[in-house]
Amino acid sequence: MKRQKYLLNKVAWSFFTILFVLVLNFLLFRVLPGDPARAGVRDPRMKQEAIEAIRIRFGLDKQVINCFESLNPIKVGSCTVNPFDTQFFIYVRNLLQGDMGISFHSNRPVAEILVERLGNTVLLIGAGQILAIMLGVAFGIIAAWKARTAIDYAALLSSLLAWSLPTFWLGIILLFWGSGHGLPIGGKATPGTSSLPFLQQWGDIARHMLLPTITYTIVYMGEYMLIMRSSLLDVLAEDYILTAKAKGLSTFQILKDHALKNAMLPLVTVIAINLGFTVAGALQIEAVFSWPGLGGAIYEAVVRRDFPVLQGAFLLIAVSVIIANLIADLTYSYLDPRVQSE
Amino acid sequence: MAVQTTELKPSVPSSPLLDFWRVFSRNRMALVGLVMLVAIFVGAVFASQLAPYDVTTSENITINDIYNPPSSTHWLGTDDAGKDVLSNFFFGARVSLIVGFFAAFISVVIGGVLGIVAGFYGGRVENLLMRFTDIMLVIPDLPLMVVIVALTKPSLLNIIFVIGLLGWTTTSRIVRSQTLAVKSRKFVLRARAIGAGNSHIIRHHILPLVMPLLVVNAILVISLAILDESTLSFLGLGDPTALSWGQMLNFAFGRGAMSAGAWWALVVPGFGIVWVVLSLTLLGHGLEQVLNPRLETHHLTPGRPVIRSEIPWRQETKKGEAPILLDVRDLSINYITEGKPPARAVEKVSFQLHEGELMGLVGESGCGKTTLMLALLRLLPAAGQIVGGGAYFTDKELTAMSEAEIADVRWKGISIIFQGAMNALNPVRTVSDQIAEAIIKHSPPIPRSQLDARVVELLDLVGIAAQHKDHYPHQYSGGMRQRAMIAMALACNPQVVIADEPTTALDVMIQAQILELLDNLRRKLGLSIIFVTHDLGVVAEMCDSVLVMYGGVTAEYGDVDTIYNAACHPYTQELLKAFPDLSNPEKRLASIPGYPPRLEALPAGCRFAPRCPAAFARCASEQPALHSLGEDHFASCHLVEASP
Repeated sequence: MKRQKYLLNKVAWSFFTILFVLVLNFLLFRVLPGDPARAGVRDPRMKQEAIEAIRIRFGLDKQVINCFESLNPIKVGSCTVNPFDTQFFIYVRNLLQGDMGISFHSNRPVAEILVERLGNTVLLIGAGQILAIMLGVAFGIIAAWKARTAIDYAALLSSLLAWSLPTFWLGIILLFWGSGHGLPIGGKATPGTSSLPFLQQWGDIARHMLLPTITYTIVYMGEYMLIMRSSLLDVLAEDYILTAKAKGLSTFQILKDHALKNAMLPLVTVIAINLGFTVAGALQIEAVFSWPGLGGAIYEAVVRRDFPVLQGAFLLIAVSVIIANLIADLTYSYLDPRVQSE
Repeated sequence: MAVQTTELKPSVPSSPLLDFWRVFSRNRMALVGLVMLVAIFVGAVFASQLAPYDVTTSENITINDIYNPPSSTHWLGTDDAGKDVLSNFFFGARVSLIVGFFAAFISVVIGGVLGIVAGFYGGRVENLLMRFTDIMLVIPDLPLMVVIVALTKPSLLNIIFVIGLLGWTTTSRIVRSQTLAVKSRKFVLRARAIGAGNSHIIRHHILPLVMPLLVVNAILVISLAILDESTLSFLGLGDPTALSWGQMLNFAFGRGAMSAGAWWALVVPGFGIVWVVLSLTLLGHGLEQVLNPRLETHHLTPGRPVIRSEIPWRQETKKGEAPILLDVRDLSINYITEGKPPARAVEKVSFQLHEGELMGLVGESGCGKTTLMLALLRLLPAAGQIVGGGAYFTDKELTAMSEAEIADVRWKGISIIFQGAMNALNPVRTVSDQIAEAIIKHSPPIPRSQLDARVVELLDLVGIAAQHKDHYPHQYSGGMRQRAMIAMALACNPQVVIADEPTTALDVMIQAQILELLDNLRRKLGLSIIFVTHDLGVVAEMCDSVLVMYGGVTAEYGDVDTIYNAACHPYTQELLKAFPDLSNPEKRLASIPGYPPRLEALPAGCRFAPRCPAAFARCASEQPALHSLGEDHFASCHLVEASP
C-alpha cells in the first residue's frame, strides 16, 4: 500500500514536471524576442503580406493565451476570445495529436523528423552509457578496494582529467586522429550501404559509432568511477561488512554478496540525475560527428534558425529525460527493500 | 550583492586561517590546482603584455598567413584568419574566465539564498522551493541554454545570465541540507532561545558553517560554467565579438582546420579549457579533502602485520577444572596514525577463558574492550596493530595465523555478537539469508531444505517465529534484531561467543530478556562467553569471572565473588558504587567524576590517577604493575603492592 502510494506520487510528479516543460517550451518561443515568423524568414525584402501569410500559417495571429482581461475583475465578461482558439490551446491540442508543426528548413513534419532521430540518439547514448557504467563501476570497485594506493591515485587523477575534458573537444581530437586512420568522419552510415546484407550494414554503422561512443565513454566513465568509489568506500566502512568479515567470508565474497548491491544503489540515483547531463554530451558529440540524432537536430536547427524543429527537439529531449528519471526512480524502489516500507 | 558577501564572511581570527593554510598546503592536489589557476589568471590579466601580436587588427595579414604551422615567428601557428594562435589564447582566457566567474557568481548567490531560505524556514516554503529545484534539476540544462540563447541575442552578457540563471540547482540542494544540519545544532537553538532574530542567526551562526561547503560548490559551478560557455560558443551561439576558447574552436572546426591538418588551431584552445577546468577540479577536490577529511580505510583495508614476540605457553588447566579454551597472554595493541606517536589502546592484558565459563569484560567506553575482542579475531581496523603478546585458542596461536587460517576460526571457533544490530546486519538481505551464509561458509555442502530447517531451528532458539525468517532487518524491532544477531552467532556451533555490549541501545525490558536468553543458551549449549559491557551490575548475576579494564590496561581481574566482595582497585570500587544495591535502596549512587583518558594523551603514571580518590604522589609518576593477590586475583595499583 505504501509502495503504491510512493509510486503514484512519483508518477504524479513526473506528470506535473512534463506539464511545466510544456508551458515553458510554449512560452520560451512566444515571449523571448524574435518572432519566429520574422526570425525564420529574416529577409528584409519580404513584403508585409507575405509575413502576414506566414503568421497565419503558423497560427501566430491568434491570442497567445486566453485574453488577460479575463483575469481583471473589472473587465470580466469583456473578453470575446474563444479560449479554444488561442495559441496555447492549439499548441497543446496539436501536440496531443502528435503534430509538432512543420520544419522551416525541410518542410517536413517535425514529429516525423524527430522520431527518426530519437532512435539514433538512443542507440548512441545506450552504447556509450552501458560502456561508461560498466568500466566506471569496475574501476571504481578496484579504486575503493585498493584505497590509498598508487592504483587508487592513478584512477582518481585520470577520472578528474576525463571530467575536465570538454566533450566536443575530445570528439574533435578523436575525429582528427580517426580521420587519419581510415575511420569515417561523420554520419551514421556510408551512403549506399542500406541495400547491403544485414551484417555488413551494421558493421558499417558500428564503424561510424566507434569514435562517438569512445568519446562518450571517456567523458562519463570518470564520473561513474568517482561515485562508485566513494559509495563503495562508505559501504565498506559499515558495521555489516565487519560482521561479514567476522563470519569468515573472503574478501571476494564480501565484495560480491555484501558490498556491491548496497554500493550500486546510490549509483542508480546518480545515473538518473545525470541523464540531463548525458543529453548535453550527446548534443556535443552529435554536433561534432554529424550523428543524425536529436542533439544533431538541435545543432542544425540552431544553425538554420529552424524554430519548429528546435522547439520540438527540446520538448522531446526534456520529456524523455523526465520519463527516464521516473524509470530510474521506480527501479530504485524495486531494488532497495527499504523503500517499500517508507 | 557584492556588499553582502563581504559582510557575510565570518570574523575569523588569523590563527585558524593559518591553520587552514597549513593543512591546505599539505594537500598536493589542491596546491597544484591553485598554482595552475593562478598561472592562467596571470595570463589572462596580462594578456596585452604577453601576447606577441595585436589580434584586434587585420593589417599586414595576407592569404599566406592562414593556418601556418608553429614556427619561430608564430610559436603556436596561426588560425583561419591568419591571426597568431598564442595571442588569441591569452585573450580567450579573459573571456572564458569572465563568463565562468560571473555566471557562477549568479548561480551561487541564487542557489545559496534559496538553499538557506528553504533549509532555515522549512515547512511550506521549503516544500515549494525544493519541488521547484527538483523540476529544474530534471530539465536538461544545455538544450535549454541553447534554446534561450538561440532565441535571444548571443551577447556575452546574455550568455552569462543564461548560464548563471540555470546553474544554481546543485548549490541550492547542498546549501539546504547543510542549513538543515546546522539549524538544529545546540548553539543555534541557544541563540534562538535568548531571542536572536532570524537574520542575526543566519548571518552569525548559519552562514559561517555553510560557507566552506558553498566555496567548494562554487568552484565546481565555475568549472561547469566555463564548460557551458565553451560549448555554447562551439555550437555557434557565442558572442562573435568576444573570442573565447570555445569561439576559437568553433571557427577552426567550421572553417577547415580539420581538412587543412591545422591541429594547432584545434589543440591549443581546447588545452586552455582543460587547463582551467582541471585546475578548478583539482582545487575543489583538494579543498573538499581538507575541509571534510574522511578516513579512506575500511574493513577490507589489509591490517598491519602482527609484531610477534616470544610468549611463554603456560598450560594452566588445573585438576578438576574445565580445559582452557582461550589463553590471552600480555596482549598489546597500538593505533598507528602517521605523524603521531602510536596510541597504546591495549597494554599487556592477559586472561583465560575456560570451557563453559562466562567472563565479564567491564570498563567505560574507550577503554580498549572492543579493541581487545577484535584483535582476538584479527578484525582490527587498519590503524590497529598487535605489538606484543599473543593469544592461544585451544592449541593454536591466533596472532600467528595466516589470513586463511583465521578465516576458519572466525564464527566456527569464535563468533561475535556486535553491538547495535541495526548496522551489524546487512539492510538489503533477508535475515535467513545472512544466517544461512555463515553455515554455507563453514560446513560441508548441505541441501537447501536442511539449511532452511537449521535456520528455523536457530531462530526458534532465540524466540523468533519461522514466519519472520525471510524479512529484512528493518522490518524487525530492535530486540528482534539483536536476537537474530545471536542466532547468527550460534549458526556454526562456536566454542566461544563474544558478546560485545549486546544490550546497549535497547530498552531495559528488552535488555533483561536478551541477558536471560544468553544465560539460558549458555547452559543449554555449554557455550563459553565473553560478555563485554560498561555496566558492572549487568553481569553480576551471570558471570564466573570479571576482567575490569581501564585506559587500555587491566585494572583488576578475578572471579566474580572476589571482585564483588573484595575489590582492591579503587576503580573497581568506584564502579561498584555506581550501580544500585537492591538490599540497600537508600544508598546514594555515586558516579566517578572526570573522563577516561584519551589514548593519545595517556598520563605518565597510573592511568586512573587523575580520577582516583586514593591517589598519592607515586601514582602520578609511576605506572603500577599487575600484582597477583592470591589465586586468580590480579590488580594494578600501588596500594595493593603496599599491603601484604
